[in-house]
Amino acid sequence: MNRFDDDDDLDRAIAALPLAEPPAGFHARVMAATVYRAEPLVRNWEVWLIGTLVALAAWLCWLVAATPHAAEQLTYFTTQALERSGLTSDSTLLWLAVGASAAWWISQLSFPTSSASRVRIEAR
Amino acid sequence: MGLALAVEPPLAAPVDDDQALISATLAGRTEAFGELVTRYQRAVYHLAVRTLHDATEAEDAAQEAFLKAYRALATFRPGAKFSTWIFTICYRACCDRLAKRKRLSHDELPDRADPSAGPAALAERNDDARRLHAAIDELPEKYRAVITLYHLQGKQYEEIATVLNLPLGTVKTHLFRAKEQLRKALST
Repeated sequence: MNRFDDDDDLDRAIAALPLAEPPAGFHARVMAATVYRAEPLVRNWEVWLIGTLVALAAWLCWLVAATPHAAEQLTYFTTQALERSGLTSDSTLLWLAVGASAAWWISQLSFPTSSASRVRIEAR
Repeated sequence: MGLALAVEPPLAAPVDDDQALISATLAGRTEAFGELVTRYQRAVYHLAVRTLHDATEAEDAAQEAFLKAYRALATFRPGAKFSTWIFTICYRACCDRLAKRKRLSHDELPDRADPSAGPAALAERNDDARRLHAAIDELPEKYRAVITLYHLQGKQYEEIATVLNLPLGTVKTHLFRAKEQLRKALST
């Protein structure tokens, strides 16, 4: 009769197996890769964003410099666009201000927590 | 939840609760994460080395698991078990590496040599633990994973099912068959 034939004996033998030892310096390497890792000054997406904005600004500068009367034309088209969209109208500006202030006031209100969410919070 | 972050018990006192260590880490106390690593590094490395059968790759996978856990620590669900979470991350990292190995070789590679098998280990091969380890290594991958987690987590079948992303019934079946195969292997 094998000593592992009994289920409990086999369970005990499995539980008693030693764990593999991680290599020396493993803890230090994990810490260096996580909590002690220096944050990069600029993230990848920020580099892309800054690059795109610089390229766009350079292209606009070149466009303005290369086109005769570009600045005047740009001002004219911008004014026209604003007038067409109604943003220069007093009533539109008034309604926008009313909407923004209402949104701000609503964001400042605090509502009582429902019993269901209270239970969830307490369970945490 | 915000309260847990606001109240910071001194870490000099022993902290038994993983959740407290997670909260302390999120509050910016680096030594708390160090304590979590100390607690779980052996188990995580053991899972990786038993799954991958390669010490170097296992170290990389275990380190990757801790790195991913650290980055996602804010998303850790309060009430869940940190051990289950870190084992899940580690097991997935191992599966990715196994899949990559298979892609590179176009068919399943034979298991590599046990990194712990040195002259001293060979001298102990008649020892029960040695025989059991060898028998576990001979198990098919799916059974070996279940047995390794059973070793690490005990009879917490639901936790094992979560780590392996398998139904509870399948885990129990795999465990039963794995034990059967172990008994058969150890009886010869």
